[in-house]
Amino acid sequence: MDIFHVAVKLGDMLDIVPQLFVNSLVTGGIYALASSGLALSFGVLKILNFAHGHLMMLGAYIFLLFYGILEWHIAPASGATMVVMAVIALVTIKVFVSPFAKINPLLPLITTIALSSILEALVSIFFGVNVKSLSRGGFYESINIYGVYITHIQIIIIATAALVFPILALIIHKSPLGRAITALTESREVAGALGIRDKWIVRGVFIVGVLLATLAGVLVGFETNLQPTMGNSYSVKAFAAIILGGLGSVGGAIGGSLILGFIENFCIGMDFWGYSLPAGYKDAFGFLSILLVLLIRPQGLFGKSSRRI
Amino acid sequence: MLAFLSSEYVVHLLILIGIYVLLAQSLNVTFGLGQLFNLAHVAAYGIGAYTTALLATDWSAGMVLCMTASVLISGVLSLALGLIAMRLTADYFAIATIACTAIVSSLFINWKSLTRGVLGIPGIPRPELGFDMYDNYNFLWLTWSVVLGGQVLLYIVQRGRFGRSLRAIAEHEKAALAVGRNAVSIRNVAFVLSSAAAGLSGSLFAYYINYIDPSSFTLTEMIFVLTIVVVGRPGSFYGVIGASFFLVLLPEPLRFIDLPSQYLGPLRQLLHACILFGVVWVKRASLFPSQRRV
Repeated sequence: MDIFHVAVKLGDMLDIVPQLFVNSLVTGGIYALASSGLALSFGVLKILNFAHGHLMMLGAYIFLLFYGILEWHIAPASGATMVVMAVIALVTIKVFVSPFAKINPLLPLITTIALSSILEALVSIFFGVNVKSLSRGGFYESINIYGVYITHIQIIIIATAALVFPILALIIHKSPLGRAITALTESREVAGALGIRDKWIVRGVFIVGVLLATLAGVLVGFETNLQPTMGNSYSVKAFAAIILGGLGSVGGAIGGSLILGFIENFCIGMDFWGYSLPAGYKDAFGFLSILLVLLIRPQGLFGKSSRRI
Repeated sequence: MLAFLSSEYVVHLLILIGIYVLLAQSLNVTFGLGQLFNLAHVAAYGIGAYTTALLATDWSAGMVLCMTASVLISGVLSLALGLIAMRLTADYFAIATIACTAIVSSLFINWKSLTRGVLGIPGIPRPELGFDMYDNYNFLWLTWSVVLGGQVLLYIVQRGRFGRSLRAIAEHEKAALAVGRNAVSIRNVAFVLSSAAAGLSGSLFAYYINYIDPSSFTLTEMIFVLTIVVVGRPGSFYGVIGASFFLVLLPEPLRFIDLPSQYLGPLRQLLHACILFGVVWVKRASLFPSQRRV
């Protein structure tokens, strides 16, 4: 093959790059919504919630109940989903996390993984194990922008992420509440000594985290579909994102999510000199990145000082 | 009574219990004694099962070779994971091992040229040992001989000097370090031994069930094995054996209730998860003998 053919081949390969870029933004936006909540609650609680992805899945199914099955309008359905999920988040932290937190670091890991299995089983029983979609049509028309195809719902996903995260950043960095959260993340004892009433702030942060995950789950339900087993996969992806970004930092989680979105889409979508990887391996790349980061840079790609590891 | 005990159904349950005794007892080394939240156990189990399945079908390999290969491959791969993950704190270790289970599960599903994907590997022949191993009654004896051999080894591991070191590190790491125990390497050895034994029980499972597919090696299965160890009390040798009998038999009555088959799996899963949470709730103060942090 002479140099000309190599160049043409390379050109063909690069044609797909803008499309992959947009796809990566969509995937990364979903992961960012899912993982920022996990990073927030891990920051203040210092406990890893193994049921995070399952709460996301449950939130999407609760929305499916109001919107898809009872056929409510989208606004009351969203409101009702938020109320239900806030209550479920409160029950989760009061029953499955707090009673175990101070006894042994292993216990909340076991109880939240038990919760994850309970949620998966309950959703399978009540909604069935088959794939469900939130679609009512209308969202799926693709528009073509300079050769890049994007659906309406994908634009909504990117816009949602672009709207939610600046607000979140504003709250964390500029408001008194945000300062209290930062203080709790740094040291719970000192924050307590300074009179920050931690109990309800921690619960509030946990609820917000679950609601962010619910939002991600609902968007997934509109963009593709829902299945009870998706919880596991999204839990591990949220772990991957927060590990990539350094455990416990919201900004890191968002960056990690975008990187994860790009890794997944580009590893699968690119045609490497006539050899492309089967799409089924998409998830495996995200999970592999966890092990690589732990091996090479355990403090995360953006983490500065090393935690006690 | 004797007729009932030798009936196909009871023999089937006893073989299954034997496989879970070995699987749970090996998890008891890492999770029970070592207090390591090892979610990659089911990956080692699956790798053991697939190794035996592939060697026995494609290569017509004998039983000793298949079992040895299952043990070795599970052990060596877990050593690789251990070298990455063992330096980490509890949270990171849990994430690394759950990621490993997810990767292995993805390979079982997607590496179609090797594993045939979700179709699984059918027609795994029973070992040829001079007895008719397709008779489950004979296979029961083989299973329990292997399982009891494994139990003796795991008993020595748990109750011997090594087990005491492992327990000491889990319960009082600084003190154990002070008397000259190397925490990382002791945990790594425990992890490799435990995964190798899981590989052996995977091998038995593949021989028994004749047909394996990726759905047998999921996180749901992991939570079931975790439940056995928690119910049997982590670190208790006989407790875990008793809990294996109890938990394998417990959902069996569900079979005799006339339920639509799609509810059976989720109901079993719900039952196990609720038991897991219930036991941790009731025993939260005493489940692990002492705190890791001093």
